[in-house]
Amino acid sequence: MVNEERLRCMIKMAEFDSQDGKDCKPMMQYARKDYVSLQLLKSFVGGSIAFFLLGLLWALYSMEELMEKINSLDILQILVTTAVLYVIFMIIYLAATYIIFHVKYTNGRRKVKQYYVSLKKINTMYTREERLRVNGNKDWE
Amino acid sequence: MTTLLELKEKLVHFYGKNEVYITPIIRFLLAFASFLMINANIGYMERISTMPIALLLALVCSVLPIGATVLAGSVLILIDLYALSLEVCLVGLLLFVLIYFLYFRFSPKHEYNIILTPLCFGVHIPYLIPVATGLLKEMYSLFSLICGTVLFFFLDGVKQNQAALGAAEEAEEGTSKIVVALNQLVGNREMYLVLGIMVAAAIIVYLIRRMSIEHAWTVAIISGILFQAIGLIAGYMLLGIAGKTVEVLIGCVISCAVAFVLQFVFFNLDYSRTERLQFEDDEYYYYVKAVPKAIVSGTDKKVTRFGGKEKGERMTRKRFAEEMDIDEDLLD
Repeated sequence: MVNEERLRCMIKMAEFDSQDGKDCKPMMQYARKDYVSLQLLKSFVGGSIAFFLLGLLWALYSMEELMEKINSLDILQILVTTAVLYVIFMIIYLAATYIIFHVKYTNGRRKVKQYYVSLKKINTMYTREERLRVNGNKDWE
Repeated sequence: MTTLLELKEKLVHFYGKNEVYITPIIRFLLAFASFLMINANIGYMERISTMPIALLLALVCSVLPIGATVLAGSVLILIDLYALSLEVCLVGLLLFVLIYFLYFRFSPKHEYNIILTPLCFGVHIPYLIPVATGLLKEMYSLFSLICGTVLFFFLDGVKQNQAALGAAEEAEEGTSKIVVALNQLVGNREMYLVLGIMVAAAIIVYLIRRMSIEHAWTVAIISGILFQAIGLIAGYMLLGIAGKTVEVLIGCVISCAVAFVLQFVFFNLDYSRTERLQFEDDEYYYYVKAVPKAIVSGTDKKVTRFGGKEKGERMTRKRFAEEMDIDEDLLD
């Protein structure tokens, strides 16, 4: 006979598996610090590429102007300005990453916790059934 | 009102039961509308900008996750831009890559927004999107709104300058095509205005919706729409763009109406989806179809008190015993 109580828990868990399971997997594997650090690292690479692309767009946009003034350009100043912009951009981008993934971790962790509560419940049920069976109690169902 | 609520109940029930068919149909309609709009506005590559191809693509997209629609749409746009000129295509590609890095990394689940934003711009009711985002989504969905808006203004700009961009030879004294294309993004003051107003409106709607006041959703919708109408009209005046007032007003009224429909359909209601699950334990394989029950919304619950309004007037055992002049224990 199907144990309905257990079935309910299992449905809940299967739902979690099929919906959030994949997204929440890192929350089971990593500590908060490691998870956020990993995302920050990814963001660093992604952000750098994005900044480079933005720079490229700007360069294309002002190509003619640059060509006209190519001899009188103050390379050092351009480099410094670029560096400052890069730092500001990265600070904003990384701060956004930090906040967003911090929140994501908190939410994911909560879901994982619920999952484990269900797991524990099912486990208890199994243990109990097993014990009753071993004891030879026939009306355990 | 009761009829409406019943209708809503039926709707939820219907959706819960037929979710398998409804979701692909919605995806199909969305994809089809997007592709048609792309074809109609920037369909420069005539070989692929045809109805049958759009239909076919939309059919394929309907069975794939919504991300596929985004991808197909981007590829279509890029091919069309390529047909116009290589430079514009390059700028478009850079834009897409930027959007990917700056946005999709954070919230890949908001693709609907990024499709719906340009679509709503296309049918002149973009004012709906900030309101809907504020009502239904989280704060960070704002980025999808921004990406969608930027995308629309870029494509719109390309469409308006197609003569300059599509010319076989670059005009000698004129600016290069890349500059013209980029100017649709960098030098587009209207875009900045719309972007600013929309983001602010979405934040306002979101904050009001979360407040614990009565009719929070209604207040949020109205303030969001009003803010956009006033902000945009004032902004257009400041920028000296004439002839937009009527369009903004009519758009706002329609958006407001649609927003109220959204409120009716989504407020307090959980359209959790039907689940088809498979799992096993030691004894059985389970194939479960879990259909969410239609949830009765709080508004049509009625509490009727019987036997007096005040708590003090209610009949308790003690009072009853006193009234009957008997010992309270006898009532056990």
